[in-house]
Amino acid sequence: MSDGGLLVLCADDDEDILTLVSLRLRRAGYDVATARDGDAAIEIARTRSPALAVLDVMMPRRTGYQVLEELRGDERLRDIKVILLSARVQESDIARGLEAGADAYMAKPFKAKELVAKVEELLGARA
Amino acid sequence: MGAGAVAIGVYFLLPPDGQSLFYVVIGAACVATIFVGSAWNLPRGERLAWQLFGLGLAGQVAGDAIFAVYEVSLNREPPSPSVADVFYLGGYPLLAIGVLLVLRRLGGQTSRTAILDTAIIFSGVALVQWVFFIDPYKHMAFGTESARLVAMAYPAMDVLLLVALAQLLVGPGGRTLAYRLLLASVALWIVADELYGLNVDTYQGGDWIDALWLGSYVVWAAAALEPSMAHIAEPDRRRLPRLTNTRLALLAAASFTAPVALLIERAAHHRVHAFVIALGGATLAAVVLLRLAGLVHAVERAGRAERAARREAEQAQQLLAYQNQQLLEIDRLKDEFVSSISHELRTPLTSIAGYVELLLEEEEDPGKRGHLTIVERNAERLLALVSDLLFAARLQYGQLELERRPVDLQTLVLQAIDSARPRALAASVQLGGDTVPVPKMRGEPAKLAQLLDNLVSNAIKFTPRDGRVDVRLSARDRMIRVEVSDTGIGIPDAERERLFERFFRAQSALEREIQGTGLGLYISKAIVDAHGGRIGVDSAPGEGTTFVVELPVAE
Repeated sequence: MSDGGLLVLCADDDEDILTLVSLRLRRAGYDVATARDGDAAIEIARTRSPALAVLDVMMPRRTGYQVLEELRGDERLRDIKVILLSARVQESDIARGLEAGADAYMAKPFKAKELVAKVEELLGARA
Repeated sequence: MGAGAVAIGVYFLLPPDGQSLFYVVIGAACVATIFVGSAWNLPRGERLAWQLFGLGLAGQVAGDAIFAVYEVSLNREPPSPSVADVFYLGGYPLLAIGVLLVLRRLGGQTSRTAILDTAIIFSGVALVQWVFFIDPYKHMAFGTESARLVAMAYPAMDVLLLVALAQLLVGPGGRTLAYRLLLASVALWIVADELYGLNVDTYQGGDWIDALWLGSYVVWAAAALEPSMAHIAEPDRRRLPRLTNTRLALLAAASFTAPVALLIERAAHHRVHAFVIALGGATLAAVVLLRLAGLVHAVERAGRAERAARREAEQAQQLLAYQNQQLLEIDRLKDEFVSSISHELRTPLTSIAGYVELLLEEEEDPGKRGHLTIVERNAERLLALVSDLLFAARLQYGQLELERRPVDLQTLVLQAIDSARPRALAASVQLGGDTVPVPKMRGEPAKLAQLLDNLVSNAIKFTPRDGRVDVRLSARDRMIRVEVSDTGIGIPDAERERLFERFFRAQSALEREIQGTGLGLYISKAIVDAHGGRIGVDSAPGEGTTFVVELPVAE
């Protein structure tokens, strides 16, 4: 809640990557909430209504896919934009992510600029 | 055979005395021929059947000889019964046993079915023989009691030969010429005997019936001479005991003998042999019943065997399905394994690359920036290596699976040139592009981009400073052609063939410490193959190398 920007949820079980993604998004002017597993991600999505969620696919307790399903199945959470972030780069993985209703699928490692550009694209040009 | 036919012809031209002698001569010649033929055609120890034929016929000839002696020297027939009858009658069992020996060697004749079939035929034949040939002698008014008994013995003996004939007809022997001759000789013999039986009152020496007997001798001798008699004891696979039409006809004929005999006797107003016919009919019915039971059992056995076989087949199929399932599972696990290894390797690389990127943005000191750039470049190399290894591992499981979308190769080539430009600049290599618009092809853009990238980076890597790399794109004969040529160190002939093998590295690359994994061209070839194209290389060491890729345009 640093400067009243849009809230972005970041979920990844790798703390280093989570810190990196959060840092990049904060620098781009977003508020960031972090989660270390799928359950926590859903909890934050319910309580803090983020505008967008960056979800790692391979997370404990609930995978990125499962979190995505949960969000898409809940009327109040349905409109949250979702970017899946994964080290799985097979075409089949990407296709599965997009079929499950993700707005974008990004492969790890990612370029900071590309991630921020994708977030901005999904949330619309900021004033 | 020819000689025999001539001899028989001559026989009928001779006066009665000469006839008797010549008859014996022909017979003796045939007996000798049988012994010679069997010695000729068969190894020692396998001649017994034919020796029995020879002895059997010798018995007949001996009888004929006694007749001839009486007729020529005493001018009358021998008394009945005489020593001649002993020889004649003694010959029959020898001949019949000989035939059965031949058949025994064929196998299949000792089975229950064969015995029952023989019993049916025997019953039928015996019935007919008794009613029409044996019993009538009892009531004839000639000779003594013993003469009539001897006369009755002949048709009785014919029963043996008739059974042997029937067995030959249905036997499993290959129908060689020798087999047919043997069959014919037995048949001639029986026909002659039966005709004699019917015409016993009018028969005289030199009668045409003699020709049948003589014919039988000659044909028998011919069978012994015929080389195929050596194989007469080899069963014909196609003729292994089955209910053939011949067999069925014979069995049917035998089964109907009782009622037919009855009807004929009634029609001819003979005294009806009620007891014999009833006995024969009952015997036939009993044996036929046994045969039927055998058939039913065989059918049941076959049914059981079929059910068992079907059960086994079903079990085998289930096992196969299970194993198939397991293979699929193993395949899935391997795929899962490669995916997670790739994931595990990429996750730390993400942190390294991400934080170096962050540091590079913040660091102003040129020395530190230089070091950070080296870390960044190596992280990228490591990432490329991980990607290539993942790719190669998947190739190991089988054919590359492709998306198939319309692709404009010119765009991809231009992109590849653009993205390689910084590397070319860094290596002081001039990078040229010469492209024209080409028809669309079908394939996966990401894979084709990877292919072009591999070829262009390779060319830059192997070209010394101030060299050139040229990329050309053209289309001809429904093939799109990409050429990547360099003025590099070249590839020796010896290495050219192994260039596309997994993990192969050129000696020059190792010597000059040019970095690489040996996977680039292996992956490139796999991508080209999966798109239905060809990849080749042309090179002169020291002058340069050209890689040529041809890809089919979309249909």
